[in-house]
Amino acid sequence: MSEAIHAASRTATNDGTSASVESSDTSLPEVPRAMRCAARGIKKAFGATPILRGVDLEIPEGTFAVLVGPSGCGKSTLLRLVAGLEEADEGAITLADRDVTHLPPRDRDVAMVFQSYALYPHLTVRDNLAFGLKLRGTSTAEIDERIEEASAMLGLAKLLDRLPKQLSGGQRQRVAMGRAIVRRPTIFLFDEPLSNLDAALRAEVRVEIRRLHDRLGATTLYVTHDQVEAMTLADSLWVLNGGLVEQKGPPLEIYERPRTKFVATFLGSPQMNLLSGRLVKEGGLVFAEGGGVRSRVDDERFRSELDDGREVTIGVRPHDMFLAKGDAPKIAELKVEIVEALGSEAFAHGWLTSSGPTVIARLDAADARTVKPGSVIPLGAAPTSIHLFDAATDRALA
Amino acid sequence: MKHLRALVTLIAVVAMTVLLPGCGEPPRGIVLWHPYRGGEEAALKKGVLRFEAERGLKVTVLAVPYEAYLAKLEAAIPRGNGPDVFIGPHNRLGEYLLHRLVAPVGDAFPDADAPRYEPVTVAAITYEGERWAVPLASKCGALYYNPRLLPEAPRTLDDLAAKRDFALGPGIWPLAYESHTAYWHSALLHAYGGELFGAPASTEGGAGAPPGFAMTGEAAERSLDKARELVATRVVPDEASGDLVKTLFTTGKAASVISGPWLAGDLEDKVPYEVVPLPSIPGVGAMRPFLTVDGVFMTPEGAKSEGARALARSLGDAASAAERAEIGKQVVATRSYWSAQDGGGDAAALSPEAKRQRALLVAFHEASADAIPMPVSPAMNPVWVPAEQAIRKVLRGDASPRDALAEAKARYDDVMRTPPREAVSPAPLVVVVGLALLAAAFAVVRRVRAPGFRRELAASKPAYKYVLHAAITILVLVVLPLVAGAAMSFFAGTREEARFVGLGNYVEILTARGKPLLSHGSFYLTLLVTVAWTVVNVALHVSIGLVLGIALARPVLRLRAIYRVLLIIPWAVPSYVTALAWKGMFHRQFGAINAILVALGAEPISWFAKFSTAFAANVSTNVWLGFPFMMVVVMGALTSISKDVLEAAEVDGATRWQAFRLVTLPLLRPTLLPAVVLGSVWTFNMFNVVFLVSGGEPDGTTDILVSEAYRWAFARNAQLGYAAAYAVIIFGLLALMSKVLGRIGGGDAKEAI
Repeated sequence: MSEAIHAASRTATNDGTSASVESSDTSLPEVPRAMRCAARGIKKAFGATPILRGVDLEIPEGTFAVLVGPSGCGKSTLLRLVAGLEEADEGAITLADRDVTHLPPRDRDVAMVFQSYALYPHLTVRDNLAFGLKLRGTSTAEIDERIEEASAMLGLAKLLDRLPKQLSGGQRQRVAMGRAIVRRPTIFLFDEPLSNLDAALRAEVRVEIRRLHDRLGATTLYVTHDQVEAMTLADSLWVLNGGLVEQKGPPLEIYERPRTKFVATFLGSPQMNLLSGRLVKEGGLVFAEGGGVRSRVDDERFRSELDDGREVTIGVRPHDMFLAKGDAPKIAELKVEIVEALGSEAFAHGWLTSSGPTVIARLDAADARTVKPGSVIPLGAAPTSIHLFDAATDRALA
Repeated sequence: MKHLRALVTLIAVVAMTVLLPGCGEPPRGIVLWHPYRGGEEAALKKGVLRFEAERGLKVTVLAVPYEAYLAKLEAAIPRGNGPDVFIGPHNRLGEYLLHRLVAPVGDAFPDADAPRYEPVTVAAITYEGERWAVPLASKCGALYYNPRLLPEAPRTLDDLAAKRDFALGPGIWPLAYESHTAYWHSALLHAYGGELFGAPASTEGGAGAPPGFAMTGEAAERSLDKARELVATRVVPDEASGDLVKTLFTTGKAASVISGPWLAGDLEDKVPYEVVPLPSIPGVGAMRPFLTVDGVFMTPEGAKSEGARALARSLGDAASAAERAEIGKQVVATRSYWSAQDGGGDAAALSPEAKRQRALLVAFHEASADAIPMPVSPAMNPVWVPAEQAIRKVLRGDASPRDALAEAKARYDDVMRTPPREAVSPAPLVVVVGLALLAAAFAVVRRVRAPGFRRELAASKPAYKYVLHAAITILVLVVLPLVAGAAMSFFAGTREEARFVGLGNYVEILTARGKPLLSHGSFYLTLLVTVAWTVVNVALHVSIGLVLGIALARPVLRLRAIYRVLLIIPWAVPSYVTALAWKGMFHRQFGAINAILVALGAEPISWFAKFSTAFAANVSTNVWLGFPFMMVVVMGALTSISKDVLEAAEVDGATRWQAFRLVTLPLLRPTLLPAVVLGSVWTFNMFNVVFLVSGGEPDGTTDILVSEAYRWAFARNAQLGYAAAYAVIIFGLLALMSKVLGRIGGGDAKEAI
């Protein structure tokens, strides 16, 4: 990852569209009252390896915030910093308006669900749930009440006297959540909690987590590398890359308006198609040309930067490309290599030019039957669905 | 079938290899065994060659290593493939007699020959009016002195005492000897007219009967007073081992030492020395050391052979004696050699080295004249052990000679007490064994009746085939010895004359031999000490192991690998090496620990004088030996505890200590518990440390059950049955302890991980 990209992403985050206040490297402005959790200018290195290079984070009360990014981007480290399991080299962390930067985890009033669940193997489910409360000197009656409430919520009532090793993966996951819920903490921290579950269970628990959040209205910081979890769970999504926040905001907004090439490719499945090209102005209209594509560009969206001849990377999501029928405008022709039919829809993989990268386009289920490998099909795309990135900085044109 | 034939062939081959040499041997003439080496062996061979030439008989001379000498004699002679004559020390005569290895020498030593030998050596080989050997040479203690420090040969103890308080130089002792041993103290005892060994307490048992305890009365008390005075006035260092005595002398830190002829071999040219007879005590008499005489013994078979008798006699003649003295450098028993020396002999023609050598022999010969022959009984431990305890106690100043000796006598009497009566009726034993068998049978029946037992048995038939060899091995190596040991506990007396006493041994042990239950040396007191010993040790092992294991498991520690290796080293060193090293470090005058204490300005501690300090010394040694095991167990167990769980506890609000107490410790428990059970069993039975470090000092109070059992078997008149009963009780206690500890561990903890 080059320095240019970081510079670009820094700019992207700083003048972001979300409701957060602005921040910069030099000054650390006051955290607004409504923030449940906030971090300012966090830097952290392990030995000579920098992991976080100056990250700001704000989570308003009741928000489900998701940190997403590839492995090694620093998202888990950031979570552990908030939990107090690591200490930041630089920067400050506040929880509910309290500076906790140098406090140990026990004084931060946070609850955490670990990837491995980290249940106490020698304690029953009930004792696992009660552990944190007992340490805080909560009364027995109160403990019982909270355990009852949480176990009803999570369907753990019948499992209370079992040991962790007598539970299935999904049950352990729920106990881990229960252990957090009974604590009623300032903030819930989730560290990739679903990655040890199988796919079916994962989808189920994902929904359950969101449902619980809505019910409890609890502030949550959730770390994942899975973009589906990120998209479905987040109120506020934070894409991390190389120790910096690449983009933040509501998930759909990020999906629709990725500010960097990295964000564009990281979110969305299949990945956004990227082709190198340049801008061409013809008769008042702007076209993006290159890699076998020629498409009109929505100049409403890119008002300022559409200089003639500018080198750009053209991005089109597979879902925005379609089989151009009749007199619909054609932007490219795809030589089909294979067709993946998923039932409700299909994806055609192929090339636009003999030397270009693989390109994926979405087909309707009906068309999937007629398009054969080896055939050449015309592709269309709406001008508004064309993303443009500066070829040098990988930053989205705005 | 094929296998069977191969097996038979194999057995036949093995049998022939073993048996043939015995059958096919040609007539070998007279067979002579000896334990000699070097010059002694050369001198002996010369004498034998001359005998062969004179008499025309063939003599086979076989050198047998001294360590295995008695065992080989015992094995070979009754089978008829032993020697006809053999050379050995006279104090083994009791043992030879016990195993019927010897016969009187008859005309190998006719009455007419009596003047030929030194009277003291003749006395040594005479037992119950018979002569049992032809005396060859003798060994006894003498005084070595360093002429650079003492220009005049010290003649009296007072000459040496005058140099007390390091008058000869810093750290230079006037005299060093193993003052705490009964063997060397006897030289003082004899000077005062006392005796260590008396007539056997009972006449039964013949030559095997232990001698009486004669170290009582005024002479013994005065000798102890004298020894105590020598130590207290810093004439003699305390508790000097043989090695220390040698080192002090060779390094010039002792002006004189009392030792035997063997020391001369070790001195070489390290230090100038002269040898004179032991000093006398003015107004009392000469110190008289113990004397051991090497003699030619006749086996019962050999005694019948005229040739063998002639050989034995010829080895005692003047020519052989001269060779032994000149070549073997032995203090020969034949007087003619010495009378030749008195006349000056051919001294003028000798080299200075040979002159010196001869002077040494003459000195030892002179010393032997006053020496007291060692008794011949094989069972001297019942006397040695309490006598040494009394000597140590007096030297430490813990008791007056009178009290210490009275206690020693009481201890001797306790050991030599009449064994339990022969069981009148075996009824109690039958009942106990019967109940045990009944319980076992009941368990078996219940198992067999359990549903599905037959099916399981049939299903696991192949499995039984696989474990068969292991089961047989365990049966032979573990179960049978265990049963044999348990059976032995129903007998009393020594190996040779064991009598069936039923549960008599157990009754004696459990009733503390009729004395108060917590009296000295009683089973209950020893058990109490053993339990304290086990608890203290295991607690320290576990806590130190935990601390170090946790410290070493933390990645923050630099050079972790090096610490780990360093801390495991105590475990890798054989425990007796460590125990001896620690024993040395706890020495009152020369030990490292007291040296540190003194350097820090504290008073040196006499570690083995008090129970508390002796116990602490034992514990430190055993903790040193034992903590690495627990540390390794803890380190292993820690790696199985997920880091996440500890972090979860931290997030849940636990302090470091709470996380350790509520999470780490319970998770370590399933691994730690078996280690604690094992450690407890090992510690309960940690013979090495107790035996080697404190040796039960003071007064056997730090002895634990196993070392006590050992003493009954090997240091107290070989009461093997009594020791076996101790062993059975120890076994029962340990089995019970494992069971209880296992139950405390609980079932669920084991399943937790």
